Amino acid sequence: MTQRKQGTSRRKFLKGSAAAVAAPYFITSTALGGGGRAPASERIVMGAIGLGSRGRGDLGAFLRRGDVQVAAVCDVRKGARDGEKSKVDRHYKSKDCKSYNDFREILTRSDIDAVLIATPDHWHSILVIEACRHGKDVYCEKPESLTLAEGPKMVAAARRYGRVVSGGSQRVAGDYRGVVNKCWGGQVGQVKSINVNVGPLSQPCNLPEEKVPDSMDWDLWLGPAPWAPYNSKRCSGSYRTNGDSWRSYLDYSGGGMTDWGAHHFGGATFAVDVRELQPQEVTYHNDGGKQHLTFTYPNGMIITHNRPGKGNLHVEGTPGEKKEPKPAPGYAPGAGNIYGDFISCVKSRGKPFRDIEYAINTMAVCHLGIVAYELKRSLKWDVKAQQFIGDAEANRFLDRARREPWVI
Amino acid sequence: MTTQPLTPTPDAALDAAFEALKTYNWGASRKLVQPIQDAVTTSSGNADARKALEARLTAVLKTDASRDAKDVACRHLRTIGTAASIPTLAGLLGDPKLSHMARFALERIDDPAAGATLRSALSKASGAIRAGIIGSLGARGDSAAVPAMIAALGESDARVVAAAATALGSIAAPQAAGALAAAAKKGPAAAKIAVIDGALRAAEQLAEAGKKAEAGVIQKALSGDDMPEHVRNAAGLKA
Repeated sequence: MTQRKQGTSRRKFLKGSAAAVAAPYFITSTALGGGGRAPASERIVMGAIGLGSRGRGDLGAFLRRGDVQVAAVCDVRKGARDGEKSKVDRHYKSKDCKSYNDFREILTRSDIDAVLIATPDHWHSILVIEACRHGKDVYCEKPESLTLAEGPKMVAAARRYGRVVSGGSQRVAGDYRGVVNKCWGGQVGQVKSINVNVGPLSQPCNLPEEKVPDSMDWDLWLGPAPWAPYNSKRCSGSYRTNGDSWRSYLDYSGGGMTDWGAHHFGGATFAVDVRELQPQEVTYHNDGGKQHLTFTYPNGMIITHNRPGKGNLHVEGTPGEKKEPKPAPGYAPGAGNIYGDFISCVKSRGKPFRDIEYAINTMAVCHLGIVAYELKRSLKWDVKAQQFIGDAEANRFLDRARREPWVI
Repeated sequence: MTTQPLTPTPDAALDAAFEALKTYNWGASRKLVQPIQDAVTTSSGNADARKALEARLTAVLKTDASRDAKDVACRHLRTIGTAASIPTLAGLLGDPKLSHMARFALERIDDPAAGATLRSALSKASGAIRAGIIGSLGARGDSAAVPAMIAALGESDARVVAAAATALGSIAAPQAAGALAAAAKKGPAAAKIAVIDGALRAAEQLAEAGKKAEAGVIQKALSGDDMPEHVRNAAGLKA
């Protein structure tokens, strides 16, 4: 986004807001920047798409920022969007926030600078790409992609339009500082490997049909996923992966392998400094029924998954050897958290901490692992071609046909 | 590599699963059909077992089994389908309830006949189904479909136009650049942003192929005042 674009869009929003429509006499103190808020013309105008439990949390974080104006909310469930519109309006003491069933109505609004995407995972790639095509910056919840093929298309769209696109794991920089500092600080010597314990994989879903609530657009919830009858558990946003949530089912999620994997593998790749790379090989092990994986990077770094006897984010280095510390990357100065990092980068046009390319490299680890577990065999990955080497069957798992009319 | 041979799925378990599939429907336990999934996994590298399994799955698609049962069959044909199952899958492409799952299998079958089947179906399809078929051809990188996709840019259904533009961008069809740039100025409004994206991608491909003059023509067309500012910027970035 150019400065010109930002200025134009914010002026439009200011024009459209209740405060600005009135004569200057009625301009509120918050429109002018009072109450700890940036003047309206300097705020990032945002829309929120997907208002489940995670989306509501993200929305609250953006609402608390004085340099953000949430102008629109969207969800295929009327109750969810009505509830969040009321929350936003209460927060701003206005009635300006618009609510939508269809995300396309947000993306075509020229006054929206950026969008929060917190839908179920099967929508992420379409929404990120469409948002970039419409000139929006994007904060997309993790797991950012559902298939291997989606990732490069998401990155390309972000780069084509010069968009700031941040992935949404607040834990990578927030929760794993101990292991990051240990690795980057040289305390473990030459880092050799790191282990990640996470799971399980998602499963097919065959839940029985229930009546679709009148207040829900079921077809739009399914979107690109195969048609299936409504069931409240199929679309529940519960964080469990035991069958009670969309996170349990492979049409919408990679299960714990991607849901927590986006965090843990994200932390691991950050700690051992391979965020800019993807593995070139995944080795499948089955030791007496105990399945686990070894990911090998082009620079020799190893990430293991569920390695027996090793804890989550357990690092192996060269004991007794110290290495020269190097400064670990972090959020933008003064950003405080991942939301601040995103907004800071929207303003500066900088690269966010969980830039979409880093996020997609992390997701590649998760997806490669899923394919190896599905096929129960080792795989070689051509990073440049984004293809499995010498394994036509594995290449069938790169992507899935999307339900009409959705394409990426 | 430590990959070990997999134990074949017992015939009796597989027979029972296919029997269950005859009456399988949403709400039934997934365990009933799990042996089919197991057989798909364990038969990898065993051409005879795969052939037999494919025949049984394809046979399900010819019966009056439920939509759910056919959904299961198509999901497995995505993994093991060959030219043998393509004629049966082709018969489902025009069915609004099964077209997607037929593509779910066909899109991933690495056989030229799958592409030919999708192209043939495209000539008869309309609306969302037509858009979906175009999407699958794009995902397959089917360059033989480029002329039909270029023609589709001139249609009135925004879903079809958007799908065609996106597919042309995926296929890397720089010959479509001119048609995309023209469509960006006169196509359905709802497809405009997808068409612009297709044109930008075509310009990128032309530039990468060293055809900078041709790329420049597209970029200039997308740099006018009638284009959104972020598009003008994107076109300018590539100029």
